[in-house]
Amino acid sequence: MKTVVITGATSGIGFEAACAITAQGLRVIGVGRSAERCERAREALLSGMPEANVDFVCGDLSSQREVHAVADAILSLLGDEGLWVLISNAGGVRSWYTTTADGYEMQFALNHLAGFLLAHRLWPRLKQAGGRIILTGSNSHKMARMHWKDIMFQRRYSCLMAYKQSKLCNMLFAAELNRRQSAVKAYVVDPGLVNTDIGNKETSGLVDVFWKLRKRGGVDPEVPAQTYAFLCSRQPAPEGLYYHNCRPVAYSKRVNDAADAKRLFELSEQLCGVKFGGGEL
Amino acid sequence: MMVLITGACGGLGRAMASECARRGFALFLTDICELGLESIQQGLTRQYGVMVYTHVCDITNEQQVAAMFERISGMEQKPGMLLNIAGIDHEGGFAALPEDRIIDIVRLNIEATLRVTHAALTVRDRAKRFIIVNVSSLASLYPMPLKATYAASKRFLLDFSIALGQELKHENVSVMALCPGGLPTTDEALQGIAAQGLWGSLTTNGLGLVARRTISRALAGRRVYIPGLVNRMLSILGAFAPPALVARLLHRRWQHAQSQWLPSLQ
Repeated sequence: MKTVVITGATSGIGFEAACAITAQGLRVIGVGRSAERCERAREALLSGMPEANVDFVCGDLSSQREVHAVADAILSLLGDEGLWVLISNAGGVRSWYTTTADGYEMQFALNHLAGFLLAHRLWPRLKQAGGRIILTGSNSHKMARMHWKDIMFQRRYSCLMAYKQSKLCNMLFAAELNRRQSAVKAYVVDPGLVNTDIGNKETSGLVDVFWKLRKRGGVDPEVPAQTYAFLCSRQPAPEGLYYHNCRPVAYSKRVNDAADAKRLFELSEQLCGVKFGGGEL
Repeated sequence: MMVLITGACGGLGRAMASECARRGFALFLTDICELGLESIQQGLTRQYGVMVYTHVCDITNEQQVAAMFERISGMEQKPGMLLNIAGIDHEGGFAALPEDRIIDIVRLNIEATLRVTHAALTVRDRAKRFIIVNVSSLASLYPMPLKATYAASKRFLLDFSIALGQELKHENVSVMALCPGGLPTTDEALQGIAAQGLWGSLTTNGLGLVARRTISRALAGRRVYIPGLVNRMLSILGAFAPPALVARLLHRRWQHAQSQWLPSLQ
């Protein structure tokens, strides 16, 4: 049975993607921050589909120590089997500059570095299965550029700029993976405007109010979930990098900047203290 | 220069450590949390390539502090700056909290800070300048019902800092008290700020900015730094308003904020 790992799978897009993918008969390993919410999500999945093969691993992906612990737990659940798809979906918004346990800016660490490190740890299994990586992106990456001089926005923090940059990072990372190798195909999904709580969780003031208003116009998370299910099941692997509503769509020209992509890849390796895939890409 | 930071794994400690590393300073980080020290050491080394020493220490414990300073006195480079960041507050009214929790606040915020400060002054390199930053609080400027012990402990640090700075002025030691309002240090703090609504947003200052200015001002020899215009105006008002009136207003504000915030924490 093919296995799909989904981070941020206890609510919103990740949870609905887990539903859609278990419905296809694939095994799902979900990752969530709170043990209680993981258990609730597992029960909800099983109540709709008692025969589903679902596990949950609990960990706070903003801390690299916990990313490693989550990877260890996933590897032991996999046994000696390969991993068909890694859906790196966990992400968040912070109104203010905050740091992770490692001293990195929260959105950069959680929305980009965590997925990078988890992909690195699960890389041998992804290669073994000839699998895929799917990152949750956002159309807002089109308004972003890389702030190389202050990548963690330490000097002048802007919640939205840090968010958009982290989503551009997702695009650059996926593009660089596809440039470097062809065994595992990387995609980014643009979920569109979705009615989830991402902008209300650890935010306050304007961001909170703005998102409460804006998300009303969004679609339900079942809609983007179909795109993840499509990218998990389609054979042969679909062409293209950036998907919305099960179709490849246009993305920012900045994503094609090979120098930026290489620079981000190497910086991420340095900040995670690893050589991606053992340096064999 | 090497900077000694207590409470280095907390939200403010990490941001300060990161700011010092950005300036290229070497770091000596201490905290009670061993795993946290490992993480922040690794992260700052990778990001800035500076030298980061760590030492697990409960600074309320006399022996542990003595052992830490024995290690420091054996080091070639002595700290040129001390950031006393470790501190706690327990939410809840004085009579509602168990006695030991109240005493904990004083033991860490006051007693441990004095112990570390004294030891750091003793081992310092007397040929060089020495800078101390004590993290006081905007709360130090008023009597604060529902935070009575905490606010008073921060008042202690404010007065102590100003007095010590004067006392050691001619020994090339400068002391600064940092008096921040709300600081968005952790996800819990962010929720607390959100619970205070507009008031929370107005008195809150960005952590990156506060860290940068704190170090700049401490290096410039300033005595008190109150981040944020709104907070500075509040501090001036506080100096003229009758304490009993301030206490009455603040009591209402905290009662409201805690009723919003505390149930969500449990």
